[in-house]
Amino acid sequence: MTPFEYVLIFFIGGLTLTAMVGDDRSIANAYSQIIAVAAAHFALTWMKKRWYRFGLIVDGTPLVLLEKGKWRTETMSKSLIQDDDVMASARDKGLERLDQIDYAVLERNSEISIIPASKGS
Amino acid sequence: MPSLRTSPVEDSVPRINNEIAVGEDLEFQRRWWRFENILWIFLVAILALDVTGLLGRGYLAKGTAQTKDGAMVVKYERIERFKTPSILTIQFGPSALQNGKLILWTSDSLVKDLGAQRVIPQPEASVIGEGGLRYVFDATPGPSSVQFALEPGKIGLHHLTLRVPGSEDLKLDVAVLP
Repeated sequence: MTPFEYVLIFFIGGLTLTAMVGDDRSIANAYSQIIAVAAAHFALTWMKKRWYRFGLIVDGTPLVLLEKGKWRTETMSKSLIQDDDVMASARDKGLERLDQIDYAVLERNSEISIIPASKGS
Repeated sequence: MPSLRTSPVEDSVPRINNEIAVGEDLEFQRRWWRFENILWIFLVAILALDVTGLLGRGYLAKGTAQTKDGAMVVKYERIERFKTPSILTIQFGPSALQNGKLILWTSDSLVKDLGAQRVIPQPEASVIGEGGLRYVFDATPGPSSVQFALEPGKIGLHHLTLRVPGSEDLKLDVAVLP
């Protein structure tokens, strides 16, 4: 998770807090809301396991960004990803140039996986 | 000790170029991008409604109403938000003043639905009856106004009626959004 995403999560949490809690500052309300969030998380995970299509909607699908020396431009542009982002992930793996990469995949958790050329080919 | 259930590994994740198992579903993703485009239109529409005030607290939410004889001019918010403070201002014309008193009758929706918290200035008397509240203020000739601090506690469309003796009823509709 990037620092920006980290801040965003707390920011959205803060914004929704007032509307969800309102004037009710009781422990009963706090427990109920925590249990409701935990139950919703469990239900969501169960439904993802039960129905493949539901999992696709919630988590999305991995997307190939680079395939054997060719950018998937439609995927790149619609996912708002630049070649610099792929290279940043490549450098993280110790790779220096694009020709050292066989595949770059945008994973469901928004991270970019790099398959080096020696392993992919 | 009972053994754990196991099952053989199946190579079920679709591969790219028969090499890496990614499980990419481009057909789904293209439908999702189309859905995202529609969703953006919807989100931008909500933002536009909010900026213009159609979701409350903006230019289009503000309303003004007055009696034909000018006894009352009311500035209020046609679109209110649940539990959000606002001010309803009533300016009185010369014909509203009678024997040094201003008498204002309001329907009980002012308190029950629109959550009137305070009246500024404090009335000399407030009396319940006729399905509402009657406020009596001491007043001298000249421009005068009364403010009600509202904090609506009921969601929905509410009807508010205001009256000063000798003038017509002023009927206002106020929508309270969640």
